[in-house]
Amino acid sequence: MDNIYEPQIVKIAKIEELSPTVKLFRLEKIDGKFEKNEDKLVFRPGQFALVGQIGYGESPLGPLSSPYEDEYIEVAVRKTGTVTNRLHSLKKGDEITLRGPYGNGFPLEFMEDKDIVCATGGCGIPPIAALVEYIIKNREKFGRVYVLYGARSPEELLMKDKMKEWEKKGVKIILTIDRPDPKWKGPVGFVTDLVKEIDINEANAVATMCGPGPMMDAIEKILRPLGISDKRIFVSMERKMQCGVGKCQHCTTGKKYVCTDGPVFNYDEIENNFD
Amino acid sequence: MKKTKELTIGEEKLEDFLKSVGQEFALFDVRNDYYKGGVPFKKYFFPQKQKIFSKNGGSGIVAAEPPKKFVLFGLDLPDLEALTYFDEIMKTPREDFFYFQNRNRAVVIGLIRERIDAAPGGDAVFQDMGGGRYRVWLNTEKGGDFIKKYKKFFHESGGGGEEENAPQIPENKSLSEWSRSMRALVLDPELLAKAVEWSRDHPIWDELGKRCLGCGICTYVCPLCHCFSIEDSVGLSGECSRCRKWDACTLPGFAKIAGGHNFRPSIKERYYNWFYHKFVRGYNEYGKSQCVGCGRCKKFCPASIDIKKVLETILKDYKKATAES
Repeated sequence: MDNIYEPQIVKIAKIEELSPTVKLFRLEKIDGKFEKNEDKLVFRPGQFALVGQIGYGESPLGPLSSPYEDEYIEVAVRKTGTVTNRLHSLKKGDEITLRGPYGNGFPLEFMEDKDIVCATGGCGIPPIAALVEYIIKNREKFGRVYVLYGARSPEELLMKDKMKEWEKKGVKIILTIDRPDPKWKGPVGFVTDLVKEIDINEANAVATMCGPGPMMDAIEKILRPLGISDKRIFVSMERKMQCGVGKCQHCTTGKKYVCTDGPVFNYDEIENNFD
Repeated sequence: MKKTKELTIGEEKLEDFLKSVGQEFALFDVRNDYYKGGVPFKKYFFPQKQKIFSKNGGSGIVAAEPPKKFVLFGLDLPDLEALTYFDEIMKTPREDFFYFQNRNRAVVIGLIRERIDAAPGGDAVFQDMGGGRYRVWLNTEKGGDFIKKYKKFFHESGGGGEEENAPQIPENKSLSEWSRSMRALVLDPELLAKAVEWSRDHPIWDELGKRCLGCGICTYVCPLCHCFSIEDSVGLSGECSRCRKWDACTLPGFAKIAGGHNFRPSIKERYYNWFYHKFVRGYNEYGKSQCVGCGRCKKFCPASIDIKKVLETILKDYKKATAES
C-alpha cells in the first residue's frame, strides 16, 4: 500500500527574492530528476504541490517553472503563516519536503487552437507562469496569448524579467497596479479600458485565472466585456488544504473538492456554490 | 437450497470467549461505549491524534508503525454499517495509508439484536437470537479464521430443522424510536440531498446558526464524520513530528487560510456545511447519506439540536415548495 501522505525530500538549489515578501525556491531531488507523466510533463500547469517541512507543516503551492523541466521545480512563497515563515528562514542546500503534483490543472487540450487570456494578480502568477511556459513550448498550437497581471504596487509585480522573455516569444503582457503610484505609468486596476488593448476572436477564446483577489473585477470588467462566456473561464481556486488527496474536507466548495476536482474549475460550475 | 451450517454461541460462553481473546490480543469491548463517552469505534482506526511522521536529524522521514493486532468487540448495527461506510470513504479516491494500517491489524466483531439478511460489516457478527443464544455470521475470511481458533466456545449445528426452532427476533429490538425513524429517513438519500440543497436560504439555518455553539461535539461522536487536520510540531529534543488529528467543520478555523481569510466565517455557514456534507456532498460521492441514525449527535449536543427534526422541517417545506411549483 502506497503511503499517500509520505512526502519526497528535495533540496533547495536556489533562492531568489522576487519581492520584499516573496521568495522563489528552486527545488531539486536528492538523486536524479523529477518523474514525468504520460504527457512528458513533470506536472500539468495549474496543478499544485504541498511543500513544507516535518515539524512545520505543508503549504499548497503552484509550481511556476516550465512543466517540461525535470531537473528542478520552482515555487514562489509569500511569507504569510507558519510554514511560509519557516521556508523563508531556510538557506540554499537545506532540505524540505514535497508532495504531489495534485489536482487537475488547466484544460490544455481544450485550450488548443484558441486565443488565450490569462488574468491574475499578485501571488497568483505561478500557475499562469507554468501555463505560459507550456504555451511557449507549443506555441503553434495556440492563438493569440495575453497575460493580464495586476499587483498592489510596482514592487509586488513578480517575475518581470521572465515576462520580457515571454514577450519575445509571442505573449502579450499587460501589467496593472491597484492604486496610482508616481513610479507607475501603466494602467491602474483591472479596468474596462484594458478591453481595448486585447484583440482576440471572442468566439474562440478561453480565459484562465488564478484568484481570488482580482477575479471578480477581471471577470466583470474585462472577460465578460470581451465576450468570453463563463463556461470558457477557468479559475484556479484557493482554499485551506491539509491532505491534498480528497479526504480531510478542508478545501470543499459545494459538492467539489478543490484538491482533487480542482484547483482549476470552470467558472460556470462553481459560481453558485454556497461557499 | 442447501442450508449452510449454523454457528452459535451461548450467553454463558460469551464472556469466557472474550476473556480468552483478551489474553491473547488487545481487546476493546465497545458494547457500552454509546452510553459512556459517545466517542465511537472510529477512534481505533482513525485516532483522535496520531503521530504519522517523525524526523530527528538526517534526511530520513519515519512513518508511524502499525499497531499490534487487536480485537474490537460489540459494534451495534448502526456502527457496523458506519464501519463499512468508513472503509469506503477511506478507500476513496485513494487508500488512506494510516487508516488501513490500523484497520488491517484488527478483527472486528459486531453484536446486534436486529434481523438481518447479511452481515452489515465487520469480520463477524453475533446476533442475539433471544433465549441466551447468539447466531454467528462470518463476514470475512479473517473473521472465519479468527472464530475457528476459538471453536471450543461455539456450537456448530448441521443445518436444517434448526431454523424453525429459532426464537423470532423482534425487528430492531434494540434501536430507539428516534433511531428507527432517522434510519427510515436516510432510506431516501436522494430526497434528502435535494431538500438540503434546496434549503440553503431556509430560515432554519439562521435559527441554527444562533443556537449551535460551534463546539464540534456532533462531529466527534459521529461514527462517520472524518474531517482531520495535519498538525506539525517540534519537540524540546529537536524531534520534528507530524500528527493527524480530528478536526470539525463546525469549528471557527476550519476553512481559514494563512493570511487570515476565512471561507466560512459564521456558525450558520459552518453548520449548513456539516449538513451539506452529510446529505448532499456525501450522497453525491457515495450514493448514500453520511448518517446511520445512531443518535449520538442528538444525545451529546449541548444545544439539544435534533438533526431529525431539522431534516423533517426542511423536508416538509421542500415538499410544499416543489408541490407548488
